[in-house]
Amino acid sequence: MTIQPLPTPARRRGRLFPRARRAVQLALLAVLGLAPLGPAPAAQELKPLDIYSHRQPFLIAPFVEAYRKETGVEVNIVYASRGLAQRLIAEGDRSKADLVLTVDIGRLAVYADQDLLAPVDSDILRRNIPAHLRDPDNRWFSLSKRARVVAVSKRLDDADAIRRIEDLADPRWKGRICSRPGSHVYNRALLASIVAADGEAAATAWARGLVDNLARRPQGNDRAQLKAIFQGECDIAIINHYYWAKLTHGDNPAQRQWADAVRILFTNQRDRGNHINISGGGVAKHADNKEGAVRFLEFLSRPEAQKLYGTVNFEYPVNPDAEPAEELRALGDFKEDALPITRIAELAPAAQRIIDQVGW
Amino acid sequence: MTATTYRRIFPARTFSRWTIISLLLAVVLIGPILAVFVAASGDTGGLWRHLFATVLPRYVANTLVLMAGVGTLTVLIGVSTAWIVSRWDFPGRSVLQWSLLLPAAVPAYIVAYTYTDFLEFAGPLQTGLREVFGWQTKRDYWFPEIRSMPGAIAVLSLALYPYVYMMTRMAFRLIPGSFFEVARIHDRNYFRAVALPLARPAIAAGVALALMETVSDFGTVEYFALETLTLGIFNVWLGMNSLPGAAQIACVAFLFVIALLAMETYARGKRQFADTSRRQTTVSPTRVSGPRAAACVAACAAPVLLGFLIPAAILLGFVLEGQSIDDYARIGEVAMNSVLVALAVAVMVMTVAVLVIESSFSGNRIARTATALAATGYAFPGTILAIGVVTFVGFLDDGLQRLAEGLFQVSYGGITGTIGLVLFACMVRFQAIGHGAVVTGTKRIPPNLVNAGRVLGRGFAGTLARVVLPLLRSSIFAGGLLVFVDVMKELPMTLLLRPFDFDTLATFVYQFAKDELLEEAALPALVIVLAGIGPVILMNAMLANTGRGVVAGDQGAPRPAPRRR
Repeated sequence: MTIQPLPTPARRRGRLFPRARRAVQLALLAVLGLAPLGPAPAAQELKPLDIYSHRQPFLIAPFVEAYRKETGVEVNIVYASRGLAQRLIAEGDRSKADLVLTVDIGRLAVYADQDLLAPVDSDILRRNIPAHLRDPDNRWFSLSKRARVVAVSKRLDDADAIRRIEDLADPRWKGRICSRPGSHVYNRALLASIVAADGEAAATAWARGLVDNLARRPQGNDRAQLKAIFQGECDIAIINHYYWAKLTHGDNPAQRQWADAVRILFTNQRDRGNHINISGGGVAKHADNKEGAVRFLEFLSRPEAQKLYGTVNFEYPVNPDAEPAEELRALGDFKEDALPITRIAELAPAAQRIIDQVGW
Repeated sequence: MTATTYRRIFPARTFSRWTIISLLLAVVLIGPILAVFVAASGDTGGLWRHLFATVLPRYVANTLVLMAGVGTLTVLIGVSTAWIVSRWDFPGRSVLQWSLLLPAAVPAYIVAYTYTDFLEFAGPLQTGLREVFGWQTKRDYWFPEIRSMPGAIAVLSLALYPYVYMMTRMAFRLIPGSFFEVARIHDRNYFRAVALPLARPAIAAGVALALMETVSDFGTVEYFALETLTLGIFNVWLGMNSLPGAAQIACVAFLFVIALLAMETYARGKRQFADTSRRQTTVSPTRVSGPRAAACVAACAAPVLLGFLIPAAILLGFVLEGQSIDDYARIGEVAMNSVLVALAVAVMVMTVAVLVIESSFSGNRIARTATALAATGYAFPGTILAIGVVTFVGFLDDGLQRLAEGLFQVSYGGITGTIGLVLFACMVRFQAIGHGAVVTGTKRIPPNLVNAGRVLGRGFAGTLARVVLPLLRSSIFAGGLLVFVDVMKELPMTLLLRPFDFDTLATFVYQFAKDELLEEAALPALVIVLAGIGPVILMNAMLANTGRGVVAGDQGAPRPAPRRR
C-alpha cells in the first residue's frame, strides 16, 4: 500500500477548490464505508503518536521534526504545565495519550505513583540511560539533565568561599543572594537533595540561613536572577545552568551582558557532587500505540537526539555516549550528585514543608 | 410615576417546564464544582495543622488585602468613569466610552509582565533615571517595587475595572430622566440620591466578577510571587502532591466568595426597584467645556492609558524590535481558533442564561438557588475548575461508554479530548458573567409588564420572547461581550483540556510567557489585545442603539436634560 503525500501548497494552488474537493472525497469515503481502507493505518510505524507534554512545544518541535523525517510518523501534542496527570486519570482507558513527557523528576514520579505509566522492557533504553536516572520498575526514563548551579557576580572577589551549596547559608552573604521562590520545582528539588544529604533538621537550618541572606523577596525566574546580578541588586543566585547558556548564546545583546556579568560555579565538587534534575518520559498505561511510544523514547535516548537536547536547550545528555553541547564546554566538566533521582521526588513534600516553614 | 416594590410575578407553581429546564442546566453546570468538592474529601494527613502553623495565615491575609484593594479600586475607577460618561458630554466622550472597556481585552498577567519589564530595576524607566541622576545601585534611591502587593492590586484593578464600568454604565443609562427631575425638585445630589442606589445591584454584580477573578488569579500573583491562597493551592497540590489538600483550600476560598456574595444580596434586601412609568426617557449627558471637560477627559483616559495603551505599546515595542517570532501563518490560524471558541462560548453562555431566566421570576427557590450556584464556577482557580470539569466529564463519559457499548454495541470515544470539553469548561467558568448580566437586567423589568403579557394570554415563552427579551437585549449583548473578551484571554482551562495540537492565542502566548520570554510572546499577546477591540466597538454600537430607556424608550419625546446642579 502506498502512502499519499500530503498536498503541498503549490499543488493546492493549482486547483480551484482544493479543500472542498478533499472534503468531498473524504465524505464519500466515509459514506461508502471505505475509510478503513484509506492510507491512515497503513503500517504499524505510521500510527500517529499522541503525547501529553509538560515541556513547551517549541522545545519539542525539533525532536518531532527529526523523528518525522526519519520515520514518517505524525506526532500530536497537548502541552500544559499542570494537571495533565489528573486529565489522564479522568480519561482512564479512553485516553488517547501514548506518551508523557515532563520536566522535573517530581512530576514523573507522580505519574508512576498514580499508576498511569506502563512498564517498558527495552534494552536500548537500559543501555542508553544510567540506572540512577531511570525508574527501578522501568516506568519512566530520564532524557536530559540540568544542573542547578550557583551564578556569582564577576565583581565578587571572595566567590571562592562558595564550595558547597551549604555555604550559601553563611551569614557573610547577608543581603547578597537572589532567588526565585522556594516552592518552584527546581528549588524544591534542590532542597530535597540537601535533605537527602544532610537530613531534615540541617536542611531546615540551611534554608533559614539562605532566606536570611536574600537581597530581595524571592521573585522572577532564573533568567531574572541573572539580570538582577547584572544590575547590581545582588551578587549570588541559584540558577539552572541552561539559563546562563541561553543568554550567552542568544541573539539579544542586552541579555548577553547579563550572562557576561557572572561566573558559573558547580558546588559540592569534593563531596557528593552538584545537584541535578532531569527531564524525562514514560509510556501511558492505556496507550493504544505503546510500540510507537517506546520507539520514540528510544529515539530520544540515542546519541544524535541526545545531542539535540544540547542544541535546542543547552541541557546535558543522559546518554554517556553523547557529548555535551559545544557551548557547555566553557563550563567545564563537573561531578554530579549520584543520588538515585527517585529520592528527590520522595523528599519533595518534606522540602515543601521546610519551604513553608522558613518562608522561602 | 412610582417605583413599585418588586413582586413575584408567577405563583410558585411547583415545577413548570421552564423550571425543569433550569434545574437540568444547573445540575450539569454544578457538576464540575461538585467534583472539586469530591476531590477535596480525600485524606490529607495532618496537612492543615502544618499549613495553619506556617503559611495559611499569610495566604489568607494576603488574599484579603488583595481583594479589598482590588474591590475598592475597581469600584472607584469603574463607577466614577461610568458616571462621567453618562452624566457629562465632553470632547472625546464617544471614543472614551468604549475605550474604557479595552483593558478587559488584555490578560492581567500580560499587564503584569509588561509593567514589570518597564518599571523594574533593570527596566528602561529606572535605568534612565539612574543615568540622569548618576545613581549606581538600588540603595542610592527609592523606587516603588512593582512586584508587590500594591503592584498586584494596581495591575488586577486595571484589568478588572471594566466589569464594574460596563455593568454600572448600563445601569446609569437606564435610569429614567424623571428620577433625576424628582431629585432636582428635592434638591438632592443626583449621584448619591439617585444613580448610586439604583445602580447598586449592577455595581455589586461587577465587583463580584472582579473579586472572583481576583481570588482565582494565578498568573499575576505567581509572577509577583505574592503568597495568596491560589499560590498556596498550587504549592500544596504540586509541592506536596496533595490534590485533596489543594482542593480543600480551593473550596474554602470558594465558600468565602459565595458567603460574600450572599452577604451583599442580603444587605440589599428587598430594596429592589423597577420603573413603571409610561413616559420613559433617559437623560442626555450635559455638555461641559473648559477645565471641567479636561478633568472628564483626564479621568476617563487614565485607566485606558494605563490598562491598555501602555501595555500594548510595550508589546508593540518588542514586536518592532524584531525579537518576536515570525510564524505569521500559524498566528493567523491560532487567532481563528480563539475567535471561534470565544464566540461559541459567548453564545452558549448567554443562551443558558436566558433559558434559566424563569427562575428569577418564579417563586421557586430551589430553581433560583440552583441557577445562582451554577454561576459560581468563576470563583475557582481555572486549573482547579478544569480538574473538576475533566473529572465530572470523565464520570459522564464512563456512564455513556458503558451505555453505548453494553446496550447498543457502538464504540464511544468520549467528550474528553475534544473541543467540546474546552467549550463546556469555559461555560462553567463564565456562566457567572452571563448570569450576572441577565439577572441584573431582569431586576429592572417592571413586573406589571410581565404580568400584562400573562394576562393577555401568553405563556412564559411568549412573554419571554415578546416582553422580556427585547428589554434584556442590551444586558445580553453586554454579558456576551464580556464573556467573549474573557474567553479570548482564558488560559489555564484551555491549556489543560484542549485536544491534540490545538492552540488558542492565550495558550500560544503561554509557552513563551511561561519562561518570561516576553519578546517571543509579544506578537501573539498583541493579537489577543487587538482582537478584543473589534468586538468592543461592535457591542458598544449595539448598546448605543438598544439601550435607550427601560420601557419602549421612544414613546415620549426626548426631554431636555436636567441642568447641572
